[in-house]
Amino acid sequence: MEEGDLILRSKEGDLDAFNQLVEKYQRQVYNLALRMLSNAPAAEDATQEALLSAFKGMGKFRGGNFRAWLLRIVANACRDHLRSWRRRPATSLDALVLEPDRHAPSPEDYALRRELGEEIGKALVALPADQRLAVILYDIQGLSYEEIAQVMNSSLGTVKSRLSRGRARLRQIMAQYMEPLP
Amino acid sequence: MLSPYIDCQLTSSEQGLVEAHLERCDACQRELEALRGVVNLLHRVPIVSPRRSFALAEVVPKRRAAPVALLSAATGVAASLLAFFFVSDALNLFSSEVPVEEQLKEATPLAGPPPDMAGAGYEVVENWPFWQLEVSFSLLVVVLGAMTLIWWRRRKRGEKALKS
Repeated sequence: MEEGDLILRSKEGDLDAFNQLVEKYQRQVYNLALRMLSNAPAAEDATQEALLSAFKGMGKFRGGNFRAWLLRIVANACRDHLRSWRRRPATSLDALVLEPDRHAPSPEDYALRRELGEEIGKALVALPADQRLAVILYDIQGLSYEEIAQVMNSSLGTVKSRLSRGRARLRQIMAQYMEPLP
Repeated sequence: MLSPYIDCQLTSSEQGLVEAHLERCDACQRELEALRGVVNLLHRVPIVSPRRSFALAEVVPKRRAAPVALLSAATGVAASLLAFFFVSDALNLFSSEVPVEEQLKEATPLAGPPPDMAGAGYEVVENWPFWQLEVSFSLLVVVLGAMTLIWWRRRKRGEKALKS
């Protein structure tokens, strides 16, 4: 079934249709939450909350880019988690847990990539949430500037500025904690 | 300017300016290379498979919330009215005072003058059937309260079952 039909049926409360959309986007939604929060259990919670909230709020989706709408909801769920951590700092930033990606070519490659993911995950946490979101969406998830502007509900100029400042800050942080960059 | 330059997001004139500057500025060249290094690393960050599916099992039916809200509101209104009747009854708000003399005259027109009853010459007569109202509204509050409790517990059980 086409995505447009699934969206229409989901708006009418069809849970099976919505779950097909979940199947399509859950990996990307979860990875955004994981990189935003750098904590696997919290990322699972944020993903589940965001998807439930999306299903309940399907009536508010007025067409356009469904993926951007969904990612905006998960980004907001992550912001709520980060805010609650700021109030209770003892519970934040547990060890990053990464599960093997089924599409990884080899265990050696996976080990290297896992190490890289952990290091970058630590560095990303030090960025302000808006800059982190821009960097994750563009450099890790490969969205366009336009789509990121829809996720962030902001202008292209704001996206450019957040991405630029995020990368510059990330370069400083990684220079401190990692081997010199090539 | 370097970040959008890496992403080819500059206009051709802006791109020309950046390239002209880079040709004569070593610091900016180093900065550009370092930024490219960060971007290349970010591109290699693995996409992780979630440990479970996030498909929604079931959503709590919305229509169950309505009876509980309606019942608790009705219980509240009935309890408020009951309290109002009790207070009115205790303070004699809806009663009128009828002189005892008039009553006696009507009852025994030939009798002699009534004894001096200064300060006690009036009798309180209730215009509202308070006793009946209080009993029936007490029963109503008990019944509505019990129904609210039953619906609320049933909804809680449903939510717990969905979570498990």
